[in-house]
Amino acid sequence: MALMKFYCDAERCIECNGCVTACKNENDVPWGVNRRRVVTIKDGEPGERSLSVACMHCADAPCAAVCPVNCFYTTKDGVVLHNKDLCIGCGYCFYACPFGAPQFPTVGAFGSRGKMDKCTFCGGGPEEDLSEAERTKYGSNRLAEGKLPLCAEMCSTKALLAGDADVLSGIYRKRVINRGASVLDWGVSYQNATLKVPGGAPGKAK
Amino acid sequence: MTNIETKRLRMRKMLSWSAYTLLLIVLLPLIPYGLQAASDNGEAASQARVNPIEVPSPGAELWRNVRQRDAEYTGITQVKGVDTGTLINAAGEDWRLFRMQTLIPYGAILMGLILAAILAFYVTRGSVKIPGGFSGKKILRFTMSERMVHWATAGLFWLLGVTGLTLLYGRFVLIPLFGLDGFSVTASACKEIHNLFGPLFLFAMIALVVTFIKDNFFVRGDGTWLSKLGGLFGGHVSAGRFNAGEKMWFWIATLLGFALVITGLILDFAVFGQGRVVMELSHVVHGLSAVVMIAVSFGHIYLGTAGMEGSFSSMANGYVDENWAKAHHDLWLKEGVHPTETKPWHKSTTGGPAGAPR
Repeated sequence: MALMKFYCDAERCIECNGCVTACKNENDVPWGVNRRRVVTIKDGEPGERSLSVACMHCADAPCAAVCPVNCFYTTKDGVVLHNKDLCIGCGYCFYACPFGAPQFPTVGAFGSRGKMDKCTFCGGGPEEDLSEAERTKYGSNRLAEGKLPLCAEMCSTKALLAGDADVLSGIYRKRVINRGASVLDWGVSYQNATLKVPGGAPGKAK
Repeated sequence: MTNIETKRLRMRKMLSWSAYTLLLIVLLPLIPYGLQAASDNGEAASQARVNPIEVPSPGAELWRNVRQRDAEYTGITQVKGVDTGTLINAAGEDWRLFRMQTLIPYGAILMGLILAAILAFYVTRGSVKIPGGFSGKKILRFTMSERMVHWATAGLFWLLGVTGLTLLYGRFVLIPLFGLDGFSVTASACKEIHNLFGPLFLFAMIALVVTFIKDNFFVRGDGTWLSKLGGLFGGHVSAGRFNAGEKMWFWIATLLGFALVITGLILDFAVFGQGRVVMELSHVVHGLSAVVMIAVSFGHIYLGTAGMEGSFSSMANGYVDENWAKAHHDLWLKEGVHPTETKPWHKSTTGGPAGAPR
């Protein structure tokens, strides 16, 4: 069995929001709920980067620690799922989560929270695999079909990777090596290519 | 600069370069030994190593920003909502650690210790009896409106307290009893009750303060009362309508009650754009206030019921026995402004209504 992880490569993400759209469509995510979002920091400035973020399926998930009804569980693939039949919509997982992954549909007056909804790694829920009940409550179960999450599968630049942690880290390691210094020092390759060579690089102002 | 000077300068430069080169040739074979020595001394080695790239890595900068280590950093996103531009909510861990490692264990210890102390006192000392027993003469202590305000606040306080404690401790106490499914139903009901009745507590608190504040300002003599612990361990202490202990409970209840209401409203109505950090802070204040107020309320309830003979009737039908008033609120009794008329339905009783602890 694998240990499933997401990895978003900030050097590749182009903020196309394809992952967000793919997720919403694949899982029939209700109105007002986004299981995945793309956040751009330093927008329009040098060093702008985008990252696609959803539930990171933590090994020691803070949401599971604070849940008053203990509705979270981790599958043998390392995917953190929750049982919507147990969830009472208290919002504590949302306070505890570092990534803002838990989402709450507004069900009543004054913004009262419904049952929590979050990324399932396209892994469904506690119901029988690929059943109608599972589909209605949690969206698709691509893992049961032998597929990986659609957000990563759809990613046009392969910035967002999903799968076994070992495989992902292997892919990322190769990328880092291929990029060479640029990943360690963006400035060397781009903005101010002044390597600290004694006497200055030829043809460049010091 | 003349030609000769330039030549001399060039000569000197060449000489110095030759000297440096010579020195380098001599010293080069020594480098491995030098490295060996440097690595033996870790500190010297780290000082000697110079980072060839002085431009900070943008990767490190990116992660420092999103991790919010130096300052609050928010990006932009197409997803609408509060805090969606925040990649990492660093305060979430603080909140989790507070709830799981401070509020839950220490709250239980505090409430348990207070209950244990009360139980120990009751077992060793028993109920505080009225000196001289019931006289049979009744004095009105709380009017109907005062009692209604008290019981409205008390009822809401316990409804909210029980539902709140269920949500706080249910996972550890009730899930083993009810199972996951059973407790989920209980917790869901508790959450709805807590969220629906919580806002009403605001009105109860306002009514409570308006009704009772006039007799709860500290006066001369309260210090004496406190220093003798209200005569709990023997001896008589004078007190007005409310003794210093009751006044302290009033002010604790007022302070914590309003803290609970304000933070509760912030948590309950998550539609005004308040972010996670605000709600996490509110929850910290809410939890602390609730646990302390519940713990102190145990003492109030004990003294109003089993702990003190003849005191419960004051909040049940409004009347207390004259001997009770003489013993516990002598200055108030001397004021002599209390209606002493008795109503038919408690005329025949001697110590308050049926069922009241004596």
